[in-house]
Amino acid sequence: MIEVKNLKKSFKDGENRVAVLKGIDLSVKNGEFVAIMGRSGAGKSTLLYQMSLLDEPTSGEILIDEKNTIKFSINEKTLFRLSKLGYVFQDYALLPEMTALENVALPLLMQDFSEKKAYEKATEHLILVGLGERLNNLPSQLSGGEQQRVSIARAIAHEPKILFADEPTANLDNESSRIIMNIFKELHAEGQTIIMVTHELEYSKFAQRIVHLDDGKIVSIENN
Amino acid sequence: MFSTLNIRIGFFLAKRQIKRSSLWTTVLIIFVMFFTFLNLVVVTGILIGLLQGAIDAVRNHYTSDVIISSLNNKTYIENSPEVIRIVKSIPEVEAISSRYSEGGTLEANYKTRTNEKEKPNIASTTIVGIDPMAENKVTDLSKFVIEGEYLSPGDYDQILIGAFLSKKYLDFDYPGFSALRDVGPGIKVRMNIKGIEREVTIKGVIKSKVDQIDMGVFMIDSQLRSMIGRNDYNIDEVAIKLKKGADPVLVRDTLKQNGVSQVAKVQTYADAQPKFIKDMIDTFTILANALSSIGLVVASITIFIVIFINAITRRKFIGILKGIGISESAIEISYILQSFFYAFCGSIIGIIVLYAFLQPYMAANPINFPFSDGILVAPIGGTLMRVGLLVITTIIAGFIPARLVVRKNTLDSILGRN
Repeated sequence: MIEVKNLKKSFKDGENRVAVLKGIDLSVKNGEFVAIMGRSGAGKSTLLYQMSLLDEPTSGEILIDEKNTIKFSINEKTLFRLSKLGYVFQDYALLPEMTALENVALPLLMQDFSEKKAYEKATEHLILVGLGERLNNLPSQLSGGEQQRVSIARAIAHEPKILFADEPTANLDNESSRIIMNIFKELHAEGQTIIMVTHELEYSKFAQRIVHLDDGKIVSIENN
Repeated sequence: MFSTLNIRIGFFLAKRQIKRSSLWTTVLIIFVMFFTFLNLVVVTGILIGLLQGAIDAVRNHYTSDVIISSLNNKTYIENSPEVIRIVKSIPEVEAISSRYSEGGTLEANYKTRTNEKEKPNIASTTIVGIDPMAENKVTDLSKFVIEGEYLSPGDYDQILIGAFLSKKYLDFDYPGFSALRDVGPGIKVRMNIKGIEREVTIKGVIKSKVDQIDMGVFMIDSQLRSMIGRNDYNIDEVAIKLKKGADPVLVRDTLKQNGVSQVAKVQTYADAQPKFIKDMIDTFTILANALSSIGLVVASITIFIVIFINAITRRKFIGILKGIGISESAIEISYILQSFFYAFCGSIIGIIVLYAFLQPYMAANPINFPFSDGILVAPIGGTLMRVGLLVITTIIAGFIPARLVVRKNTLDSILGRN
């Protein structure tokens, strides 16, 4: 369960402060698939970054499993991200000097898995996303869709409590986008909590709820 | 920070970064570290080696391993035959050369000097009486004959002169010293020792890098003995060459224990070094350390820049690493390990080049400095200490920029925001 209470975020712009999130209240239940939509500049990605502990809100609370993450130190946040959260970035965010297998295995190694176990688990998840034949390819040797699938495998290999996805299909063609969304669908069917930012109506329909943002505020929440 | 897990992940990251980085960049950085290593070790080694060459020259060609000389308040070594007997009884002794020495003058062109007011062509010197064969066994003196021939036993009224007594080799005068004009092998000169004059012929000219040789005159010991009236066989000094591996300190102490120090000064070659040599060694060591420090600063700046550029250009990926839960310490360790890799490789290549090529080459072909044959002195202990310094400096220089970049806000790094 993730609960966001009166979340505000503003940025300094010269002498002024620009408010991007203006008091967000939102809760997401375990196993739920939520899509966040809104026009450009509405604050979708900013909300995702705060909820996923990648950024510090200006004020408000974010409770994950009743733990107030605002009070976490930098190291506690890092550990929490490592063990409980998974990310799929818009631009895949793979490490270029590592193969697909190494990219997926790295967070597992950081969780103190043995090298053998980490590679086994990473292989398993790459097979799951249909990349069993591309284990030893570097990101530069993979297509955009394949890179995004590696990114998903990395995000789920350590079995996170919540999977965050920031416009995962934005850089992909229709075929690749459909493959990615089907993976999300399957993960959700297995009980994975997913919070996804998207601007594509077609893919927001995969979610149970769609949160509409405008000018830093939730303007509506729609159930699918 | 240095937990096993962080080190393991740091190693995992560093290994892949090095393995998949540009080969030329890696080679270039290692090349810089290699030259920094050479700068640290070789510059110091040559500066010290320059003096070591001078010390070795005096040891090999004048004092030998141990030297016995007259006490400061005596003109010769009393009871010399007994001293020599004691020296010869020591098993470590390989050869000895007994020497007589006396101050005197040499005058050239005295026959052609017609005017009493004309400045005589005269030079003050130390005249050393030697057994040419024994001397050659100990100091290899014959090797330094550059004109004419070396002395043979029975070469009465013949001398070897040091090159600096001839204007041909030392064309300047300074107060209290002037060289002779127009002298060389076959030329007759007048020798004067304590008022006793003798006409002698120059048989050869010797030139080494030892002042005692280059400014001295050598003649047959029995002739000098008769000129100075030393009928008791008391000598002025004994140069003692030891067998290979023998310890000069041990032999010196044995001689002292046998009472030699009561009638003579007993010194190892190191004890007999003039104070200015010791001062120069200290001075050069300070100078070499100063130059090494500059080398270390250059190396650390190089690594700082390399790692800083690397970390800055990889800032986004550092952000991603942090984003997926990799600890800051593990990322910092990965940069420390990369710096270590560069310094270690540069040093290993440097050590191989130093000990397999440079040092043996310079030992066989010393640099011809004016006052010494410069060799490369690089004791293993000192070299390893410098490797340690280089590695530590490099690690610090790699850690600082990595820390600066790693500590930046995770999201700002991922999004490339300032």
